[in-house]
Amino acid sequence: MVLAASVGSDLFRGLLQGMPAGAVYALVALGFVLTYKTSGVLNLAFGAQAYVSAAMYFKARVLWGWGTVPALILSVFILAPLIGLLLERLIFRYLRSSGAVQKLVVTIGLAVAIPSIFDVLASFKVLSGRTPVGVINNGATVFYDPFGVYAFSRNELVAMGTAVVATLGLAALFRFTALGLRMRAVVESARMTEMNGINAERISAFAWTLSSLFAGGAGVLIAPRFNTLAAPDFFNLMVVAIAAAAIGRLLSLPLALAGGVGLGVLIAEVNTFLPRWTDQFTWLRPIQDNLTPAMPFVVLFAVLVFLPGIRRSHDAGDPLASVDPPPRTLGAAPPDPGRARVAMVVQFAIVAMLGYVVWTQADKSWMFLITQAVVFGTIFLSITVITGMAGEISLCQGAFAATGAFAVFQLVDHYNMSVLGAALIGAVIAAALAALLSLPIRRLGGVWTAIATLAFAFFFDAVVVRLPFVGGGSNSLLTGTRVPRPVLGPWDFSDDRAFLVLALVVFVVTAVVVTQLRGGTFGRTLLALRGSKPGAESIGISGGRARLTAFAISGFIAGLGGALLAMQQKNVNYTNNFAPFAALFWLVLVVTFSMRTVEGAAVSAATYSLLDSVVLKGTFLGWLLRDTSRIPGIFPIPSAWRFILFGLGTIQFARHPEGVLEYAKRRRSARAAQRRETPPGEGPGPPTAGAGEGAEARPAAEVTT
Amino acid sequence: MSLVLSVRELRKRFAGIIALDDVSIDIDEGERVGLIGPNGAGKTTFFNCMLGMLSIDRGSVQLDGKDVTGLSVSRRARLGIGRTFQRIELFPDSTVRDHLFIAERIRRGNGRLWKDVMGLGRPRRDELARCDEVLELLGLGPMADEPIERLSLGQCRLVEVGRALMTEPKVLLLDEPSSGLDRVETTKLADTLRDVQAEHGFAMLLVEHDVELVASFTTRCYVLDFGRIIVDGPSHEVLASPEVRAAYLGSMEPIQ
Repeated sequence: MVLAASVGSDLFRGLLQGMPAGAVYALVALGFVLTYKTSGVLNLAFGAQAYVSAAMYFKARVLWGWGTVPALILSVFILAPLIGLLLERLIFRYLRSSGAVQKLVVTIGLAVAIPSIFDVLASFKVLSGRTPVGVINNGATVFYDPFGVYAFSRNELVAMGTAVVATLGLAALFRFTALGLRMRAVVESARMTEMNGINAERISAFAWTLSSLFAGGAGVLIAPRFNTLAAPDFFNLMVVAIAAAAIGRLLSLPLALAGGVGLGVLIAEVNTFLPRWTDQFTWLRPIQDNLTPAMPFVVLFAVLVFLPGIRRSHDAGDPLASVDPPPRTLGAAPPDPGRARVAMVVQFAIVAMLGYVVWTQADKSWMFLITQAVVFGTIFLSITVITGMAGEISLCQGAFAATGAFAVFQLVDHYNMSVLGAALIGAVIAAALAALLSLPIRRLGGVWTAIATLAFAFFFDAVVVRLPFVGGGSNSLLTGTRVPRPVLGPWDFSDDRAFLVLALVVFVVTAVVVTQLRGGTFGRTLLALRGSKPGAESIGISGGRARLTAFAISGFIAGLGGALLAMQQKNVNYTNNFAPFAALFWLVLVVTFSMRTVEGAAVSAATYSLLDSVVLKGTFLGWLLRDTSRIPGIFPIPSAWRFILFGLGTIQFARHPEGVLEYAKRRRSARAAQRRETPPGEGPGPPTAGAGEGAEARPAAEVTT
Repeated sequence: MSLVLSVRELRKRFAGIIALDDVSIDIDEGERVGLIGPNGAGKTTFFNCMLGMLSIDRGSVQLDGKDVTGLSVSRRARLGIGRTFQRIELFPDSTVRDHLFIAERIRRGNGRLWKDVMGLGRPRRDELARCDEVLELLGLGPMADEPIERLSLGQCRLVEVGRALMTEPKVLLLDEPSSGLDRVETTKLADTLRDVQAEHGFAMLLVEHDVELVASFTTRCYVLDFGRIIVDGPSHEVLASPEVRAAYLGSMEPIQ
């Protein structure tokens, strides 16, 4: 009886403990649902929007000494809606007819760019060691303990109350008002809504303003939960909250509230009972140590994989899409063979010249950066396979790359294995991991695959990296995760120039393999599946097998690249190189340039590694001016601009999913074709029927290199 | 003639609605069979259940005497069930010839990953020759290298037929092929399908709204209404039956 009473009271305490955290998850989940219902966008920039308002509130309230109300008005009621309005006017208005995956990638870019834009414009620096203040006086210091079991702080009570009121208010908005109905109608089909005399643009602008206002409010309310004020915290919290939102398939506000609170309570109960059980059952200890921090990501993954509604939900299409012309192809038009030969010679000459300059002139630091660019080129080729060829958005490429890097560290450190052999084994492990991951998510639609891989990336970050046989456990804290350079017969790659050659050989071989795969049966199979899954299956293509193979190949390439990166830096450097947020930036870069081509991976890698040193620091300008003293005062440009430039670069992806490089090629080909068709002296003339950009295009598999 | 496709007592329920109520059909080798019914009768659901795109509550599908009920869509396709779609399902980034080539490569089953890596995965001459043969048969030869965005709807439907033909189907299921086509295009499509069938000898199941097309194209037909087969028999007799008229037009008395 005593034991039962104790279990009962512990359950009750866990319930109360979990509710404040659950309310925070619910607030973010509600915002997620609100954005999705009113704009049709799975907005991964929600956390970034919340961060901006929280930071603005902190700046006004604490640094400028404003009162709570004016600080709230500025951060939540002016800045947040303004951001929403700008996002709609400048970006999402033009993306209404884009696919859900394209919109998702844009929001990933915005998640990267928005915090940096705010930090640069408002001169805001990441605040660590100071807990942000709430909206109520003494919110963190005054407590209420209604049941004598758990004391709620005033901040927690405000968050819980707001979550309930917001659920009721938003549900009423959607259920009982014409505006709510119109917002849902615009998401379904803006064109059909306009046919009924409704101004879809105004409705859409209002929807974005409202959801952004909610993001701002949520940001200010949840900020006191952290002991710091940094954008990644908000992003992580948002990923957790997606689990709650996903329970209601992003459509149900009450289910999002229940999901958020349920998640909070579940985590609290596990934290309450696991320590007690581990005293009795020691085999539970590793689970307690490792699983608890990753609980939200495990729940998110489980929700995505096991909830039948998620598996069945596919990207909603505009009902009018059936009367639209066929979608245009994404590959560049085949260039004139003569021009292509000239372009190839010119490109080869430029690369050879750059290679010569690097080989003869580059000092140690430049050699390091250039080698790093080549290695990242290999890693980015994994994105070319999984996203460019298979059309899947994988947000855990960093985890696969880290698997390769850690494998080299472990195998060399513990088993004294050959470094190159360990790298190959690491790549195989990464391939197996990727293949394994693709199995449970094989039936998920595009957007959900992206979220599931994001959950896995965070799970890897929170759990797998901490396992002693992966990240080295406490040993690595003392000794680091050192990785030696390889030696192969007479070649010692500890010399930087020799290692550059090795990295180049790996990149070229991988690039050739990727090109061959794309032009062969596998590439065409993926092309067919991406074009139409029912169409592909009707001729005997197995979508599941093709997807599994694509994940495995992509994992292998990422693992190999990760191992090379660890060798190059002589250390795994997990946080700098492979953390989930860094890997998001990889995707943003590759899709912006060109996700389908080797050239896209190479240019993205060069940009990733060299933009800071070559462009932002003014080095290149100084070289052009031949005098470093003449470099304008705006240099060096803060490296945050790197995130801003390429975060915003994804907007290009939504408009031109082929990437800026392919788009430029297509435009050049279209112009050349028009010139060929126009007799001399007649001027450009009107374009021929169907000879737009898309009409000039040819399949990527045939023409891209 | 032997049975090529036999569907027995197929049942599908969505929540409380019985979409297919013990539907059975048989198709003989080389036969052209029609399946008609008003909107919402369950024709497309039947197609999707038969192909494995939707799970079924009970029933069986046999192809050439082999039970394929539990097999995946792609496996059924490889065994010989070809299909076209009411809403075009082509591959936007591929040319007309590419559509046929990938189907041919999958049929042959010789697309290995190692061959791709070694550069042996590119189209071979004999494969392309077979694609061109079918393209000529369908009258698509001149546009073999065109991306599908330049084709008319009728041409897109022919590309789907060509793609399905490359799998060497034992039975070809056509889902409302006349949808979106005018009378002239529909007649041309029907003529082409007749020619193609004469050459390849497969059976066809035509799901169609266009009663005229069904009457002229099929020899036998089934009528589906509210998920049940209400009539079957020779097409001209079925289409003249009062039950079919009632299903399509309701129970209105003719205006005197």
